[in-house]
Amino acid sequence: MIPAISPRPRTGGDAVLEALEREGVDVIFGYPGGTIMPFYDALYGHPMRHILVRHEAGAAFAAGGYARTSGRVGVCCATSGPGATNLVTGLVDAMMDSIPLVAITGQVRTALMGTDGFQEADVCAITQCTTKASLLVTDPAQIYTKVREAFALARSGRPGPVLVDIPTDVLKAPYVPEQSAPRKTRDVRPVASRESIVAAADAIRTAHRPVAIAGGGVRDPKAVAAFREFCALLGLPHTTTICGLGASDPNDVHGLGMLGMHGTKAANLTVHTADVVLAFGMRFDDRVTGRPDRFAKDATIVHCDIDATEFNKIIPTRVPMHGDAGETIKSIVAELKTAHLPRFDDWAVQAKALGGPLPSDDAKDGHLSATDFLDQLVAALPPKSIVCTDVGQHQMWAAQRVKPNTPRDFCTSAGLGSMGFGFPSAIGACFANPGRPVFAIVGDGGFQMTMPELATVKRYQVPVKIVLIDNRNLGMVRQWQELFYDERYSATNLSDNPDFCTIASAYDIESFRISGPEDAPSTLKAFLEYSGPALLHVSCYPDELVWPMIPSGGVVEDLMESKA
Amino acid sequence: MKYDLEVGDPRTVARVINMAHRFQCRATRVDSHSTAELTKAHFEFAGDTAQLERLRAQIDRIVQFEKIFVS
Repeated sequence: MIPAISPRPRTGGDAVLEALEREGVDVIFGYPGGTIMPFYDALYGHPMRHILVRHEAGAAFAAGGYARTSGRVGVCCATSGPGATNLVTGLVDAMMDSIPLVAITGQVRTALMGTDGFQEADVCAITQCTTKASLLVTDPAQIYTKVREAFALARSGRPGPVLVDIPTDVLKAPYVPEQSAPRKTRDVRPVASRESIVAAADAIRTAHRPVAIAGGGVRDPKAVAAFREFCALLGLPHTTTICGLGASDPNDVHGLGMLGMHGTKAANLTVHTADVVLAFGMRFDDRVTGRPDRFAKDATIVHCDIDATEFNKIIPTRVPMHGDAGETIKSIVAELKTAHLPRFDDWAVQAKALGGPLPSDDAKDGHLSATDFLDQLVAALPPKSIVCTDVGQHQMWAAQRVKPNTPRDFCTSAGLGSMGFGFPSAIGACFANPGRPVFAIVGDGGFQMTMPELATVKRYQVPVKIVLIDNRNLGMVRQWQELFYDERYSATNLSDNPDFCTIASAYDIESFRISGPEDAPSTLKAFLEYSGPALLHVSCYPDELVWPMIPSGGVVEDLMESKA
Repeated sequence: MKYDLEVGDPRTVARVINMAHRFQCRATRVDSHSTAELTKAHFEFAGDTAQLERLRAQIDRIVQFEKIFVS
């Protein structure tokens, strides 16, 4: 006779789980370990979906991909010490690109804290400067409150990551229901002043060569709609940062493509010659501005951001507008409609003519050019595709070519530029967007950093399509060595790469191989038609560079379109 | 540059000092008093004027994080 099993006593782990449920969490990416075991015990048999990754970095990046492609808070969890420290890169990545994330970490028991206990790391201190907040829970009665606060903070104002560190004795402690009414939260959404709106409208009315720039602050669908309406209303030439890709209406002929180091010639020259720059939700990253004292040097800078610390940080702002990008744009449009509405179509046509087709290197000796292949891929992408990239040459080539319908359809580690991001972020994107085609465009360097997540793909049959651009080099570093370090190729040669298709096969994942230009069309077609997870290995010409390029700290006059 | 801070989390004092270091400024004076609920701190910083302004803006931002909660 099987003895009756008494119900498991509820613990702090159950309280964490309940608090996550209350926040609407439907999936957690994580990896178990000693101190977080009470939480995993609560998860056992619970309907909350937990995705077991193969490295905690994968959990943080997957949560990032989930958040970036959905707008919802991504959640990851790990144990204390190495588990927690392995999350850190993903947290910094989220901080840099303003992505809402909550990380739950186990901690050694309260009495052991500060004694260099086994798997102890002061993760709150480690992440204090790389998250919006790191919260330590020392009282089981505080679990609900702290988790609630973490989510409120992650979502509020300029979104970002929050870490909640919970000692194992707090997780093991008897369940304590929520003790008191939670502190109310209010989203801190500054509203741009009436004065700044009028000043922005005046700058537009008196402009001859204005240009608009959308950054990551224009990710929200309402902000995207407002930005598109604004540009269409004025016939305004406009560009985006890499985080703002997709903010521009794909059918608006005045869109100039991406701005910055590897942005289009038209976008960079237009900003350079503009007399008014209207910057929305962007932070004038050095990869966008190059040498800041020469960036749009003759222009009046009108800068809208939800974070006031961005004003005058890099570029002097004439008209700062402290507010949400979408709401601020709507206010500017309303103000413009009260009087003469200028149109800039003629200037927009001139601006477009400043550029030309994307330059690319010719592949030699019958090798496949990565850019030729990516052109084929982009042309064949199914509707509603989401593209995630890793970091490096392929990232820039993809950013130049993919035309996402919205910024949430293009997922990339922009500010931090964290290799290893692309593949796990695509896994997160799949869970956030069931039924939509998700592509991970990765390089051979970055893919090998988080390649064990193939096991995650296999276990959960995550329908991600991995496009591996293999040039057997750390291509972007090599490009800089070629151009700026006298071709001294130090530690960038990956000619001993493994056979990636064999690796995929070992994980029982279907793979396809393109070895030369002649294979590309038919193999790409077969890959796209395959139902389920698959890897496409694309062997590319190793010497192809990313063009155009404005060297780091350079100016638009330094823009290079070829090595010659 | 002087800054008077009132926050709930006493660790913010350390965060501000670290931030000053990162902005190539120096905290020349720090007075801090904490109760269970509130930490008050007075800072004096030295450094490049523009960097000090950036530092002030960043401290404002951290303080703002706590303001989403209303009891």
